[in-house]
This record gives sequence, C-alpha cells and structure tokens, in this order.
Amino acid sequence: MEENEFFGEKTFQRYCAEFIKHSQQIGDGWEWRTSKDSSDGYMCKMHFQIKNETVVSRAGTSAHEQTCLPMEEALELPLDDFEVTESTATNEVIKYEYHVLYSCSYQVPVLYFRASFLDGRPLALKDIWEGVHECYKTRLLQGPWDTISQQEHPILGQPFFVLHPCKTNEFMTPVLKNSRKINRNVNYITSWLSLVGPVVGLHLPLSYAGAASQDE
Amino acid sequence: MAEEPESALQLSPSTAADGEGPTEVSPETATPEPPSSAAVSPGTEEPAGDTKKKIDILLKAVGDTPIMKTKKWAVERTRTIQGLIDFIKKFLKLVASEQLFIYVNQSFAPSPDQEVGTLYECFGSDGKLVLHYCKSQAWG
Repeated sequence: MEENEFFGEKTFQRYCAEFIKHSQQIGDGWEWRTSKDSSDGYMCKMHFQIKNETVVSRAGTSAHEQTCLPMEEALELPLDDFEVTESTATNEVIKYEYHVLYSCSYQVPVLYFRASFLDGRPLALKDIWEGVHECYKTRLLQGPWDTISQQEHPILGQPFFVLHPCKTNEFMTPVLKNSRKINRNVNYITSWLSLVGPVVGLHLPLSYAGAASQDE
Repeated sequence: MAEEPESALQLSPSTAADGEGPTEVSPETATPEPPSSAAVSPGTEEPAGDTKKKIDILLKAVGDTPIMKTKKWAVERTRTIQGLIDFIKKFLKLVASEQLFIYVNQSFAPSPDQEVGTLYECFGSDGKLVLHYCKSQAWG
C-alpha cells in the first residue's frame, strides 16, 4: 500500500472508522452513513448553536459568535415570575451539518457543510462566513469563490457548501511527511479535519490529538 | 546574547540554553528579524523562571517553512494558538496570503482559540511544549 498523501476509498473508510471510534469514546457525535446504492459512505456530524442577535444594538455587536451565549445576557429580567417582558434579543437556533466525503478525482477527503434554522430556512454562505474564525477570514475573503462553493452532495443530492479540495494535498503533505517519520499510523482524517474544520466553524476536541497519532 | 526581548508581544525568549551555533535559516529566505514596532501594548516583563504564568514552548519548522532564529520561547499560558500564529507570521515576515498552521503531536492542529497553557498540560513533557509550525498557501 502506498504510504503517500493520496489514498483510496478503502483507506479513507479505515481512517473514518478510527476517527468515529474515538468520537464515540468522547461522545463527539460523528456517525458513518452509507449510500443506498453502493458501498460508498461518509462521516457526518450535526450540532446546534444559539445565534444571538440583539435587536437594539445591531451595529457590530456580538451578533455572530461561535460559542453559545448565556441566555441571561440576552433577556431582560421578567416583571414577575410568570410574565416575560419583551426581550431585546431573539435567539435563533442554527443547525450545522458537517459531512466528510471522499473525492475520487482528487483522492483526498472533502468537507461538505450546511447550516439552517430549525424551520428549515438555509443559511446563506455570507452568514456562514461570519462564523469563520478571524484568522481565516482575510484569506477566505480574498478569494472566496476559490475556496467555498455550493455543490450537490454526491450521495444525498442536496445542495451543500464545499471546501474545495484542490489544495488539500499541498497542505497535508508536509505535515504527514514529518509526522510519519515518527509514527506511521497518523490518522489523515483527524489531522486534516483539525486543519480545515475551524475554517467553517468546526472544532475538534483536543483528545483527538492523542488519537491522531496512535503509538500502539 | 542580545536577543531583543519580545515584551511587547508578551513573549520572551526562554533563558534556558539555546546554544545552537550558526543561525539556521532556510536558503530561500533572509534572516528573519524580530518585528521592530510593537503592535501590542507592552506587558510586564516576566522572568522565565516564573513557571506558574509562563510555559516553555519549543517551535519546530515543518517542510520548507523558514526556521526561526529563536526556537524556545516563554509564553503566557493564556496566549492562544491564534496569537502564537500571528506572532510567528510577523517574526518570519510572512505575507497575508500565506497561512501558518501549528500542530501538537506533529499531526493535530488545535483550534485557533485554544490556550497554550491547556496544550502544555495535555502534551507537554520535559518541562516544555513542542509545537510544529508549517506555512502553506492553502485555501486556493
């Protein structure tokens, strides 16, 4: 088997299986789904975030933060026990979905994602970008159409945003070459997801770092 | 050794022996100089011996990323990965379109808002945290 930056579908599935095993150990919520028609599959995870918008002061306040905001800061104190006054804030729950698929043409994993309100209204790319970590924003905004685009999910056939895989090999190779000198069992998916995830608001808990390079 | 203390960015070279003889610099780049202007207001200069507040970090370059002249740094525990990335980028004079990634265990990139103190607790050994850094023209 070629120990290279590129790998085939079977290796992809193996990496995913290891990744999901750790996810299950820590309750991180990743699952494997298979396509009905073939043995192709993908990893997916869903999480919910409360997006807090303060109606009164709209200009530049914490309207779009990554972390859940404590409810106490958003709502005014109720007048009495049973009556809630008009709050100055509305809290919207956003559902984020992340799917990790394998790209045959690029021979690398690809991150598909989408976000929607609970009533099904999808979030626009602009809103998702606002959830992107500051450090990636400048770069993304320089050439957004090169990096995130909307495409049809290869298995579900629904529109998703995709982090384009054309550069994946380029930024994974130096890291893998280096880490594989020490440990040949580095999990590509864990490494890769730890890198690309924050760009779209997905953060892997630190415990994956231990699992990323199993010495045993 | 007159290594200019980076008090402005609240990082200071570790006073531990950093006796690497000749300067190691990648042939493609000029010797990186520390940033001359302080973008951040100066913090208190803490002696590196104050191990409660600062931890020792050893930075190692990956691939053809330029190697930093100073590799060992005493860093405040609350400094985030993002803060460290910004610092290294300035130190190496990377342009805005170049990304810099930091790894623990050589293979895992912590979230940008992760604090180095936490990473030290989880992955530090021999009194220091080893972090690998790699530059890339990622994202198209």
